Amino acid sequence: MKYGIKYIGGLLLGATMLITTSCNKKLDVLPGTQVPTDQIKNENDIQAILFGGYKSLQNYDGFGERFLFVTDLYTNNNVIYTGTFQNYADVYSQTVAENSTIASGMWGNAYEGINGMNLVLSRLDLVSDANKKAIEGEAKFIRSVFLFELAGIYGLPYSNGNVTTNLAVPIMTKPVLSGDDLGESKKPRATVDELYKQVIADLKFAADNLPESYDTKKDMARANKYAAHAFLSRVYLSMGDYKNAAEEANTVIESGAYALVPDWANEFNNTTFSTEDIFAILQTSQSNAGTSNNGLVTFYSFDQRGEVLVDPAFVELYGDGDKRKSFYTVLDPETMTSNKWRDFYGTIPVIRLAEMYLTRAEANLRGGTTIGDTPLNDVNTVRTRSKAAPLTTVTADDVVNERRLELCFEGDDYWTNKRLKLNLGQLAYNADKAVFPIPLRELQVNPLLKQNKGYREK
Amino acid sequence: MLRFFSMVGMLLILSIFSFAQVQLTGKVTDAKDGSALPGVTVKVKNSNVGTITDATGTYHLSVPSKATTIVFSFIGFADQEVAIAGQSTINAALQSGNKDLSEVIVVGYGTLAKRDLTGSVTKISAKEIENQPISTFETALQGKAPGVVIESGSGKVGQAMKIRIRGTSSISAESQPLYVVDGVPIVSAPQGDVNNDPTNPLADINPNDIESVEVLKDASASAIYGARAANGVVLITTKRGKGNDKTNVDLNLSTGWAKPTKLRGFLDAKEYVELVLEAASNDGKYAFAHQDPANPRWTTEQQAIDYYQNRMKNNLKSLSGGNDDWQTYKTNTNWEKLAYRDQAHTNQADLSISGGNAKTRFYASGTYSDQEAIVIVNRFKRYGGRLNLEHTANEKLSFGLNLGVSRTELTRVSTDNAFSTPGQMVAQPPITKPYDANGEPVYKPLYYNALVEAKYAKDLQVTFRTIGNAYLNYNFIPSLSFRSEIGADIYNLTDESFLGKETQDARGIGKGSSIFDQNATINTNNYFTFNPQLGTDHSLSLVAGMSYLQNRYNGNWVTGEDYPTNAIKNVSGAVNITGGSSNVQDYAFLSYFFRANYNYKKKYIASFSLRSDGSSRFGPDKRYGLFPAGSLGWVLSEEDFLKDSKWVNYLKLRASYGLTGNAEIGNNKYLTLLQVNNYPGLPGLNAFQLGDPRLHWENTSQVDVGLEFGFFDNRLSGEVDYYNKQTTDLLLRANQPLTSGYPYLYTNVGKMENKGVEIMLSSKNIVGKDFNWSTTLNLAYNKNKVKEINGQVVESSDRLQRAVEGQPIGVFYMPKYAGVDPDNGDELFYDASGKKTNDYTQAEYQVVGKSNPDWTGGLTNTFTYKGFDLNIFFSFVEGNNIYNLAGQYQSIGFANGLDNQTKDQLNRWQKKGDITDVPRVAYYTGEAHAPSSRWLYDGSYIRLKNVTLGYSIPKSVLSHIKLNGLRVYVAGYNLWTKTKYISDPEVNTYTQGNIGGGVDFYTVPQAKTITVGLNVKF
Repeated sequence: MKYGIKYIGGLLLGATMLITTSCNKKLDVLPGTQVPTDQIKNENDIQAILFGGYKSLQNYDGFGERFLFVTDLYTNNNVIYTGTFQNYADVYSQTVAENSTIASGMWGNAYEGINGMNLVLSRLDLVSDANKKAIEGEAKFIRSVFLFELAGIYGLPYSNGNVTTNLAVPIMTKPVLSGDDLGESKKPRATVDELYKQVIADLKFAADNLPESYDTKKDMARANKYAAHAFLSRVYLSMGDYKNAAEEANTVIESGAYALVPDWANEFNNTTFSTEDIFAILQTSQSNAGTSNNGLVTFYSFDQRGEVLVDPAFVELYGDGDKRKSFYTVLDPETMTSNKWRDFYGTIPVIRLAEMYLTRAEANLRGGTTIGDTPLNDVNTVRTRSKAAPLTTVTADDVVNERRLELCFEGDDYWTNKRLKLNLGQLAYNADKAVFPIPLRELQVNPLLKQNKGYREK
Repeated sequence: MLRFFSMVGMLLILSIFSFAQVQLTGKVTDAKDGSALPGVTVKVKNSNVGTITDATGTYHLSVPSKATTIVFSFIGFADQEVAIAGQSTINAALQSGNKDLSEVIVVGYGTLAKRDLTGSVTKISAKEIENQPISTFETALQGKAPGVVIESGSGKVGQAMKIRIRGTSSISAESQPLYVVDGVPIVSAPQGDVNNDPTNPLADINPNDIESVEVLKDASASAIYGARAANGVVLITTKRGKGNDKTNVDLNLSTGWAKPTKLRGFLDAKEYVELVLEAASNDGKYAFAHQDPANPRWTTEQQAIDYYQNRMKNNLKSLSGGNDDWQTYKTNTNWEKLAYRDQAHTNQADLSISGGNAKTRFYASGTYSDQEAIVIVNRFKRYGGRLNLEHTANEKLSFGLNLGVSRTELTRVSTDNAFSTPGQMVAQPPITKPYDANGEPVYKPLYYNALVEAKYAKDLQVTFRTIGNAYLNYNFIPSLSFRSEIGADIYNLTDESFLGKETQDARGIGKGSSIFDQNATINTNNYFTFNPQLGTDHSLSLVAGMSYLQNRYNGNWVTGEDYPTNAIKNVSGAVNITGGSSNVQDYAFLSYFFRANYNYKKKYIASFSLRSDGSSRFGPDKRYGLFPAGSLGWVLSEEDFLKDSKWVNYLKLRASYGLTGNAEIGNNKYLTLLQVNNYPGLPGLNAFQLGDPRLHWENTSQVDVGLEFGFFDNRLSGEVDYYNKQTTDLLLRANQPLTSGYPYLYTNVGKMENKGVEIMLSSKNIVGKDFNWSTTLNLAYNKNKVKEINGQVVESSDRLQRAVEGQPIGVFYMPKYAGVDPDNGDELFYDASGKKTNDYTQAEYQVVGKSNPDWTGGLTNTFTYKGFDLNIFFSFVEGNNIYNLAGQYQSIGFANGLDNQTKDQLNRWQKKGDITDVPRVAYYTGEAHAPSSRWLYDGSYIRLKNVTLGYSIPKSVLSHIKLNGLRVYVAGYNLWTKTKYISDPEVNTYTQGNIGGGVDFYTVPQAKTITVGLNVKF
């Protein structure tokens, strides 16, 4: 037995030692479902991060819902919110809390997208020369679209003047890759002027370098040259730079790349881009902005939550025979919902040809220019498509009315009211509470940020 | 590593030197009940030769051949002298004593007698856990272990709980304790559906299989678990067979009936209609008073009132189903009652067989329990079995197996934050009908009707779990042994859920999902135990070894929609697969540990432990941590000046200090990661998290000073502990500017402290032949303070609570309610200068309360009279607040919708001069829906947690029917409660996380249960 003791004892000690050394290596565990940033090594990886930007645009904190929806709620023009989600109710009542998840959500999602684009822009060295400019343009397109949206949501509009002192949002141009880069993210808010300059420069670069179209169907959703021009027309319109607004809209219209969908109803709830969509958000059953607590359909569709009702007085503004007038579900005379957002997996038009016609018409009228077709023809092009009676004369305000009828529930009223200095409900366009608060959490971690007037700083 | 083995070698040599002449052996027992007494000093009279008995009461002693008498002595027992007279086996039965002191306490990697313990450990024995209508054993610890605070989230069954040992010691890392079953650290964090409320993996353990639960509270006790011990450690030991050649069969049957402890009470139809119309009238008055004088809409106030009342009457008509029943209160639905079962049933059956002989011992059991929640739909079933087997091959080698398997089925309701959960039915107005004429639930009385969900949705979570370990013990020599254990915790979970076409979230299409999770832990412990015989004055016990644990989580899920039929309720019935993915995560811990316990003359005790841990959760440079702890004990009652004291039987002072760690933040947090996304046609990568490569353990140092005592013939005994826990390098999920593209970063920032006192008192008030009365009181006080977080604002998910420097964690941070303006019924708040204002935007955000209690405890009185036993147990909690998050809908006078309101709204302000704290009611022109201390309540309570009355049939009767024991009992739980809270005080919709807590959001109250049971021993 004595030998036995030694034998077993030795065996046990040996086994312990073996386990010990083999286990040490087991502490090197790599994540199973994510990619460490040091694995970004080639053009493919860069392209994947670029495509990530479209996911951010699709997010419900982007064009998937809130850029279009909460702006309309805030404007109080034609929607009635009856839901129980406190954060949306607060937007509707124009009493957004400084710690609102909507305020921090849209902000955070946009900068997440912007950071991805900055990561792309910082590693263009990995991209082949043939694709470099186009990829750069695409990243800049996405970055500028986010910055433009944020500027309008969190800062006073360009129309308020004082553009060199009014504050927009911080412009991020360098990527944050580790905790050590965090200092980079603590920037003050840029002025409206600085921000618009950045956005215009980015969009112009995109317009110059993006392709007119993509070869494969798979790439359909990517921004092309005309998407950049179309956004430029929005930017110029909001600046009151009517000539450039008309020029950019004209470029898109004249390109012949787009055509109004003949039947109005077919512009919405499509599974892909329509002939009219210049830039849009794709959704599928596996990739969408939400199907139970988020997404435009959740709120607008009568057979879902149906919590957003349409003001019946607004619907009365359509003339008889106008197909847009019957594009509502009427539950009772007081209770009607829009049919624009009915399919959870439908495509969300972000900027479409009809808007270009209306922008060209209004810009020509206000700027006294004659770029492209006449304003009357442009407005009637839009009206006749939905079988509305053609107008015989047209003023800039008529075009604006047409814009409301055509682009309602697509997040346009907010921008229109602000650029034309019209009230948002009871609030003056430049009232303290006519903008969202800078998210409280941002002020807490970045002392360089300044809160909007009328909102809490702590 | 080399050092470790050379130490082991030294131990071997030491033990060989201690070999000596004639061998004596035997077993020491308690004369009263024959149970083994460990830690008894066995000594040759008038010499220094001696030893102590081991955990089974057995001793081996080498005595000089000249020796004639040996003496058995033990604290609290009378000494006993026995002549050797040539015998080689001498057993002894000691008289009259305090058994508690010799009680074996399970500590990490070994056991100790209570009297030798210098750390703070609370033991809960089987009889406090067995045969209760509980789905998980932790429930039974509530109010029983001082310093262990247990909060059941709600009256739903199978739900996760919040457990804190000596306070919350982290902000962003996990603060739940580590659970170890028979040496295997197990998975205790909720698994499965992340969109529903978390469930409790500990519910897989059959409470009736548990022999004891030891809670290791101070650093001295827990530091042997190193990096995982900062939150305390709960050791669960399952039952084993006794080698007494008898086979015991134990059968337990019980059945119970449960109801909610409390219904909150909502307006009935008449009250509702009156109040709603008053709200409309107030709207009219307000609108009239505030109309534009230049362009007035109404000329008289009555016109405005009529306008608003007519609008409201339209609303009421529509709620009433388009008729005028609302005027006659014909429909008067008590929605709150509909959320609960008339009577929730609980059935439980357990059978165990145990026994064995000196060579082989076994414990085998089977269990079945079926527990209906008080709330509709929700139900928990458990089936399980256990086999614990131990075989002693020879005096050197023994081995065994502990294996428990279980299957649970949890039929779930949705999260508290959903219209579809029964708890939210209280929002429906009483004038709405729950069912239509055909008996179908009405889809949308006001909101989506949870009864539709109850009828057309199904969510079943099934777990299958195996927790077991196999071990081998080898005694090289009697004083040196080696133990090797390999254990596993295999946790499989499936969750099949289905929403029929009739439900809100799957309206018209039907949706289903299936989740499969597997969480497998493999653990091995290998250690030497060395108890050299150093004579009677010195006693030394050393433990040294290593442990390795690896865990792999594997999960996948799939969701689908478009069900052609409701008949198929799994994803195979879905035409459109809308999502699916798989997930793999690994972590590993590699640890070395050492512990020494030394005592001199049973008077002076010292203990030291050291553990080194390596974890995959940190970067390569920050992987290893070292966790030492030391403690000292002084048994004053063994000193000459107290030894003969008439009233002091036992007095021990102990103190400890040590370091423990926390690594519970999830995996890979030190890396910056991107994740794959699925934009249609454009597969891409998005930010997932920002990482700090310098991330390392959170460290907690803890001082503990304790006094243990037994007075007056041990009639009064107890323990008092003071502790001071300081946590540094908090693993803080610190907010970062979103402009960085990331919301936060895990980084080691900040300090937190927990200080407290724990008192445990046990008194035998009456000790008689037939009648006995004893009382146990335990009390704990904990004061938590966030000392430093570097100016960070860290909030709970709903942003109601924060970690604020200088305050306890989880303070409610919101405007302070200042009551009602008697002039106009406006809701008032305090502004920055402390003045009252009716403008919410001017209200000052401030600390208004906290969710964790100051005092917690329990009081147990036990009476026995002949065969009767009566146990009365109160538990209490003091110093915490509860925030009724649903108040902004249900106690706001319709300002946030037509939800039915709590009865307190009847006390609303009505006319100038009314003094009340309920503002005027109004629908359009009502109060802020925003958080304020208006809905914050004192959460203190005292509750009659349990009353059990039992009767054991006398042995004399039983012998005729060949039974060893027969006891019948009736027990009541949560029978009486005193609290200022408006509902059940044991509610918490957030059981996970450290900041959020004490929040009631349509949370289901606890159950009030009556059970009757039968316990038969064959």
